Amino acid sequence: MLALIIRRIMQLAFLLFGISFLVFSSMYIAPGNPAAIIGGPTATAEDIAAIEANLGLDDPFLTQYVRYVSNAVQGDFGYSYQTSQPVADAIAVRFPNTLKLAIASMIVAVVIGIITGLVSALKQNSLLDVSATTFALAGISIPNFWLGALLILVFSVNLQWLPVGGMTNPFYTLAGIKELILPAITLGTGSAAMIARMTRSSMLEVIRADYVRTARAKGVREKNVIWIHTLKNAMIPIITVIGLNFGFLLGGTIITEKVFAINGVGRLMIDAIAARDFPMVQGSVLLVATLFVVVNLLVDIIYTYIDPRIKFD
Amino acid sequence: MKKHWLLLLTLIGVLILGACSGGSTIPEGEEGSGSGSEPASEGAKEVIYASTSDAVGLSPTMTNDSVSSNVMTQIYENLFERNPETMELEPKLAESYENTDDLTWVIKLKEGITFQDGTPFNAEAVKYSFDKLRDPATGAPRASLLEPIDTVTAVDETTVEIKTKYPYGPLLAALSHSNAAIISPTADEKQDLMQNPVGTGPFKFVSWATGDQIVLEKNADYWDGEVALDKVTFRVVPETSTAISMLQTGEVNFLDALPPEQISRIEGLKNVEVAKQEGTPVYYLTFNHSKERNQDPAFRKAVAQAVDRDAFVEKLNGLGVRSDSVLGPKVFGYNESADNAGTAYDPEAAKKLVEENGFGDEPIKLLAANRDNFVLMAEIVQAQLTDAGFKVEIEMMEWATFLDTARAGEYDMTFLSWSNVTSDGSEMFYPNFHSDNVGNSNRAQYSDPEFDKLVEASRTTIDQDEREQYLNEANMYMLENDVAIVMYHGLVTSATDKSVKGLKVDPNGQWSLKDVTRE
Repeated sequence: MLALIIRRIMQLAFLLFGISFLVFSSMYIAPGNPAAIIGGPTATAEDIAAIEANLGLDDPFLTQYVRYVSNAVQGDFGYSYQTSQPVADAIAVRFPNTLKLAIASMIVAVVIGIITGLVSALKQNSLLDVSATTFALAGISIPNFWLGALLILVFSVNLQWLPVGGMTNPFYTLAGIKELILPAITLGTGSAAMIARMTRSSMLEVIRADYVRTARAKGVREKNVIWIHTLKNAMIPIITVIGLNFGFLLGGTIITEKVFAINGVGRLMIDAIAARDFPMVQGSVLLVATLFVVVNLLVDIIYTYIDPRIKFD
Repeated sequence: MKKHWLLLLTLIGVLILGACSGGSTIPEGEEGSGSGSEPASEGAKEVIYASTSDAVGLSPTMTNDSVSSNVMTQIYENLFERNPETMELEPKLAESYENTDDLTWVIKLKEGITFQDGTPFNAEAVKYSFDKLRDPATGAPRASLLEPIDTVTAVDETTVEIKTKYPYGPLLAALSHSNAAIISPTADEKQDLMQNPVGTGPFKFVSWATGDQIVLEKNADYWDGEVALDKVTFRVVPETSTAISMLQTGEVNFLDALPPEQISRIEGLKNVEVAKQEGTPVYYLTFNHSKERNQDPAFRKAVAQAVDRDAFVEKLNGLGVRSDSVLGPKVFGYNESADNAGTAYDPEAAKKLVEENGFGDEPIKLLAANRDNFVLMAEIVQAQLTDAGFKVEIEMMEWATFLDTARAGEYDMTFLSWSNVTSDGSEMFYPNFHSDNVGNSNRAQYSDPEFDKLVEASRTTIDQDEREQYLNEANMYMLENDVAIVMYHGLVTSATDKSVKGLKVDPNGQWSLKDVTRE
C-alpha cells in the first residue's frame, strides 16, 4: 500500500510538471494580452508596456516559465495579474466552498443513486424499475442551470424556505446547511443518475453469478444475499463512477457555482481564463490535477478493501 | 471491514449532531424575507448591492474597471465632481480654482478634512496621489489620464499648483475621474490600497472576502454631513437571474445596469422600484478605416443607409436612446442639432449604391464581442446589410481576444462602446478616433488630419465655450463622413427594494450611497 502511495506521488510530480508546461504555453499562445485587459480600452501603448514590465510579461517565454516553476517548487504560486493577490490565498479562500459543495452533492448523489439503482435492480422490469430508470435518464439529461433556476423559483422565491444563493455561513450551522441544499441537489442529480444506472447494471450482473445462486441454495437469508454477497461485489464499478464524479466536482462546477453565487474554484478558473490571469489559471489547474490524482488513489485503496484479491504491489 | 463502516457512521453522526447544536445557537433571521440571509443587527441600516463580477482592487491608482470604481466611489473622493443634474463640474475636495495662465491651474483645497486613517487631507496628499498615478514605475492602467500634466506642486497646506505641458481644457474633467481620486499617502506607504483602501469618503473599508463580498461601514467622522446608512455590502452574484431572485427575496436590495432582456421581469416585482435615465454610454458600428474599401465615402454611406437603427433600439425594451450624434445628450460637447445629422435609413438608396459600385462582391468581416448587446447588434445589422445586397460574415469573439483583434485592426467592421466616465466629449474623440491612438485605443484605425485638428483644439483650449464649439464641429464632421454609425445611447438603470430611498445613478453609471437611506 505504501509503495502504491509513493509511486503515485512520484507520478504526480511528473504530471504536474507536464501540465504546468502545457497550461503555461497554451496561455502564452492564446490570443488576448493580460496587460491590455488590465489597461482597458483607454490604455495607450506606454500604459500597456508599463503594465507588462510590472508583471514581468516582457520577458521571453522560457524565462517566464523557468521563473514560474522555480518559484512554484518553493511553494510560491505567484500573484494574480488582476488583483495582485497571492494565488495560493485566492484558491485557499474558494476551495473550502467547492469542497463543501462537492461533498454535499456526493452525499445526495450516492444516497439517491445507490437506492434507486438497488431498487430497480431488485425489482427488475417492475413499475418501480421503469420509473427509476426514467429518473436516471432525466437526471442525466436535465441541464444544471435549468434545474438550479427552477429550484430557486420554487424553494427560494415562492416558498421562501431556502436562500437564493451565496455560501457564507459555516456548514455546521443551520444557515450553512440551508445554503447547501439547493446547489447540492442541482449538482448531485446528474451524478445520482449515473450512479443509479451503474448500480443497476452491476447488481444485475452479479445477482446472476453462480456464487449468489449457491448462497441462496445454501439457505442464506435474502437480506444477507443482497447486502453481503451481491452489493459488495457489485461495488467496484460503482466506486469507480463515484470516484470519477467526485474528482470532477472537486475541480469546481462552473454552472452551479454561477447560478447559486457560490465563490468556488470553478468560477475562479473561468474568470481567470477570461482575464488571461495566467498565474491564477495555472494555480487552479494544478490544484484540480492534484485532487484528481488523490481521489483516484483513494479509489484504488478502497478497491483493495472491497476486493482483497486486488493488489497493487 | 465492519469496523470501517462503524467509524464512518460515527463520523456522520458527529457531523449531524454538530450541525444541529450549531443550528440552535445562531440567531434566526427569519422575520419578513424568511430566507437564510444574514440578519442585520438591530436598527442598523444596510444596503446590499449585487454585481456580476468582483472588484479587481480598491486602489484608484491601480484599477480601471467599473465594478471596482463602484466600490471606490464610496470610499474615495475627487477634487472635482460633475453635478449629475446640470452636468457642470463642481469642486468637491477642492474649494476653488483659477487659471493664472493657459498652462497653470491653481487649486485651493477645502480645510479640515481628514482621511479615514486620520491623515490630514492637504496639498501634499493631492500631489502624492497624482504623482503616483503619473509615475511610469507605478504601471497604472490609467496613467494616460494625467499625461498632459507636467508638474504638481504643493504651494502651501491648502494650495496645489498644476502645470500642464500644453493648454489642457479637459483637466478638471480628468480630475473628476474615479481613477484620479485622492488617496491617503500614509496608508499607501504602509499597506496595499488594492486590498485595504483609505480615502476621505462617506464609507470606510471593513472587509473583503474575495470573489464573494466587500463590506463597508459608515465613516462617522465624514466631513460633509451625516451618512444615513450604517453598512454597505457589495455581493458578487454572477448570474443576473439569480440576482433578480435575490432582489425579490430581499437577499440583496440594489442592482444596476439592468439587461434589456430581464427588464420586464424586474419591473413586474412588487417590492422593487426601477429607475432609468439618460446616460453617457454609446454603442456604435465602426469601420476599420485602414482598409481601402472603407475609405470610399460611397461605401460608408451605403452601409449607413442600410442600417435601421430605429428597429434596433426598439429591441432594447426601452433601455436605449436613438440619436445619430456620437456624443450623447449627457456628454459635454453635445448639441441637439446632431441628433438627426447622420445619414438617414434608406434601404432603397443603399441597394442602388451597392449595385452600382459592386459593394456586394466581397464579403465584409463583421467582428463582434460575445457579450452585452453586441451579439444582438451583429445579428440584426448582418440581416439589414444582407437585405441591401452586402455579403456579411459575423466573427464572434470572447472579450480578451476581441480587444486584441480590434486593436490590431484585423476586421472590416465592428461594434464598439464607450461609457464616458468624465462625460467630456474630448474623452470620447481623443482615445477612440484621434490618429495619435491608432493601433491602441483608436480601434477604428481612424486617421484624418482635419478631424484631428478639431479634437486637438477641443483639448488645448481652456475656454469651455470654445471647447464645446469644437467638439460639436468634430461630432458633425464624423456624421457627415459616416465615420461611425451610432446604434444607440445607453440608459443608466437601477432596481432597488422599495425600502431604499434616495438613490440616484449618475449619467456615467456611477452612484454614491452617501445620501441613501432605508426605511
